[in-house]
Amino acid sequence: MTELHPSTSTGPTRRTTLRAAGGGALLLGLGLTGCRSAVSESSSEPKGAGAAPKRGGVLSVAINSDFTPGLLFAQSGQSYQHRLIYNTLTRYDDRLSPQPELATSWTYAKDGRSITLRLRDDVTFHNGRTFTADDVVFAVKNLQNPVRAAQLRSTAAAITGFEKRGEHELVLKLAHPVNNLFDLFEFMIITDPDTIEDALTGKKLNGTGPFALKKWSPGSGLSLTRNDRYWQPGRPYLDGVELRVIPQADALVSSLRSGQSQLSFNVPGKSLGTVKNDPRLTITDYDTGSGASYIGVNTAVAPLNDRTVRQAIAWAVDRDRILAQALGGYGLASAAPWPKSSPAFSEAHRTHYTHDAGKARELLRSAGHRTLELPLLHLALPGDTAIAEALQYDLKQVGIHVTLQPTDPATGQKKLISQDMPALWTMGHGFSQVQPSTLAVSAYPFNEAKNTSKYRSAEYTEVVREAWTKRESSAAEANALHEKISGILLDEAFIIDLVVRGQIQVAADGLHGVTLNKFSYLNLDNAYLA
Amino acid sequence: MRGYLLRRLPSALLVLLGASFLIFAILRLVPGDPATSLAGPDADAATVAAIRERLGLDAPLLSQYAHWLGSLLTGDLGPSYAIGGQTSDLIGDGLGATAELTLAALLLVIALGTAFGMLGATSPRRWVRTSIRVVTTAALAVPPFVSGVLLVLLFAVVLGVLPPGGRVPFLTAPDLAAQYLLLPALCLALPSAAVLGRYLKDGIERALAEDCIRTATAAGVTPRRLLWRHALPNALPPVVTLLGMQTGHLLGGAVLVEAIFAWPGLGQLAEQGLTRRDYPVVQDLLLLLVAVFVLVQLLTDLVYAWLDPRIRWE
Repeated sequence: MTELHPSTSTGPTRRTTLRAAGGGALLLGLGLTGCRSAVSESSSEPKGAGAAPKRGGVLSVAINSDFTPGLLFAQSGQSYQHRLIYNTLTRYDDRLSPQPELATSWTYAKDGRSITLRLRDDVTFHNGRTFTADDVVFAVKNLQNPVRAAQLRSTAAAITGFEKRGEHELVLKLAHPVNNLFDLFEFMIITDPDTIEDALTGKKLNGTGPFALKKWSPGSGLSLTRNDRYWQPGRPYLDGVELRVIPQADALVSSLRSGQSQLSFNVPGKSLGTVKNDPRLTITDYDTGSGASYIGVNTAVAPLNDRTVRQAIAWAVDRDRILAQALGGYGLASAAPWPKSSPAFSEAHRTHYTHDAGKARELLRSAGHRTLELPLLHLALPGDTAIAEALQYDLKQVGIHVTLQPTDPATGQKKLISQDMPALWTMGHGFSQVQPSTLAVSAYPFNEAKNTSKYRSAEYTEVVREAWTKRESSAAEANALHEKISGILLDEAFIIDLVVRGQIQVAADGLHGVTLNKFSYLNLDNAYLA
Repeated sequence: MRGYLLRRLPSALLVLLGASFLIFAILRLVPGDPATSLAGPDADAATVAAIRERLGLDAPLLSQYAHWLGSLLTGDLGPSYAIGGQTSDLIGDGLGATAELTLAALLLVIALGTAFGMLGATSPRRWVRTSIRVVTTAALAVPPFVSGVLLVLLFAVVLGVLPPGGRVPFLTAPDLAAQYLLLPALCLALPSAAVLGRYLKDGIERALAEDCIRTATAAGVTPRRLLWRHALPNALPPVVTLLGMQTGHLLGGAVLVEAIFAWPGLGQLAEQGLTRRDYPVVQDLLLLLVAVFVLVQLLTDLVYAWLDPRIRWE
């Protein structure tokens, strides 16, 4: 009998389903196992592990924002490549004492109005050209150009004359003595004048550093290869470095945990707990103090024009809780801006304000207030929002009700520069990790002449100018000036520091010899993968 | 068909012109500008002014708008303000990466959506139909930023068989590229595949219930022929429209997925450009996205008209 009505379904048969599944499995198999594995390809450890420095391997560094050629001469959140491609004249050691790099030695004139630099004569740029004193002259003049947005422009501008004594000796003449010249020498990368325009578009970065640019792929990152003509014999050990952009925090942590990246300085505080539990990763806290969180106070807004009210705010905040909850416990709760490595650091300043809600309320009452309603601007980024929320809670306990104003970074920056901030804001500042005078001449929130807090005082101006331009005859004299600056900052409380932060390095266990300079330029001269 | 296309073109061009004006105006209304971004938090007003002058931001707004339209017409998009490099190169690189991701996701949407739809509508086994319902519900309910993280945790961190992020261009090394592509494309495709599958399932069920199918069944047409030659073609036109709309969703979703998987596409470029107020990059990019949407819509309508002649005769 012929079957008129199908008893089987109209769907695919078992055979076609199996065929399709088999085909899919084959395709997947080809992708995953049949050819090279993307996972093992990205593993860059050299063959044969050992404890001694090993030559070879490509280091993958996970970064959260891409290289920005326009910011090549400024310190930004992404300055890691600066010391990989370029060199600086000197570098500070842990005690803020300058050490030779492209400059082998230096002599200050007795009056502090000039400095003679002797330069290395065995250095060449990646394109083979020899490094000379002219390159230093260019580097200084370049930073004097406001378009370069170099934070240390005021220090570069103090250099008003150049006297070449041969190809590798140079006298820099100063309009007035400055005591942060070595900050400039550590900050200022030595670039090739002939290719500067290409450098500013990211096409060609011609330096004297241990690695040369292979390719910059916007959005992906930088690919660097070993400079075989590097002036340090036998260095670098690594064959190359890949700076890979991974903007999302979870993806960045996954990249480290899966071994795709071996180094990062951009793991956010809340993710450090996850990293800490991974035995293959090591966390290192650099005491560079290159960043600090603070509350800015607009002193032109009543009642914040009253110093007592500002001090009440400084007593009201629980810095230890902010450190633990918003920053993963890494940093130093501090009322003053200085890290422990700074000559201006003192334990007394650090703990000048502690969490004391009772004292804060008392000060507020003495100023004639029981409750206050104030706005608090913060950047709409996870870490900054967490800090702002903690501040909102603390201030509420003493009767100060703040309304949070989340703002995107570009707008926040514009408001900061144009002095258009509301009564309170919270942000980060840098420049307390080097000479203390640099903070007040290079970090805008602290600037004695013009700052966002609209705070001016003849005393502050005088002490800042003195600290910057006077050559101290002794450590005691220097300390006295630092003491004065800290005293004004703490007493006047127009910037209320919360937590001083260094750089938190997360590295794979096999990576050794990584260091950062004071401006967070990555130094991999002695780094190796074992 | 040509007449139909010519009738649709003017409105598409008008949409693009209107969009260009809106994009330009809205970007200028947003506070913050490239000069302050480039100047950095420690800059003074003189530095900002010098940078603003260099970028031409001190010119009147109308002249800036006219200059932008001119650059679009000549094809010379000029340099990026903040990111660096030529805008056309930046967008070209990002477009290649996003196109690769979107295309791979689209293929997965078609493959998975068709499988979900056909098996869901015709499988004789109840457990298969139930499983598909559960899978499509989960795919719709779980947002890509959750499924993305889960996929990375499982395949990259725990099993260690696929990279957690990054990209190798497909033309450089197809075997490696496929492995980098698999997780982000799957993450991007899942919700759209679920929508497509459900739509197709309903369409096939409706088509199979038509009188003509019953007649054909009675006449002895084989089940496979019934499905492929009669039910499926009738269910397809609305699915094609849906697929066009889902392509738009894929492009939009790619922005988020690119961040999770460190995929250097237009999404990342847009985020970077917006954060730094890089006007040339953001303006050109947004207009390009509008153009792609308009084009996809136009193509969808053309395919629909081709599948259903009544449309082009209207």
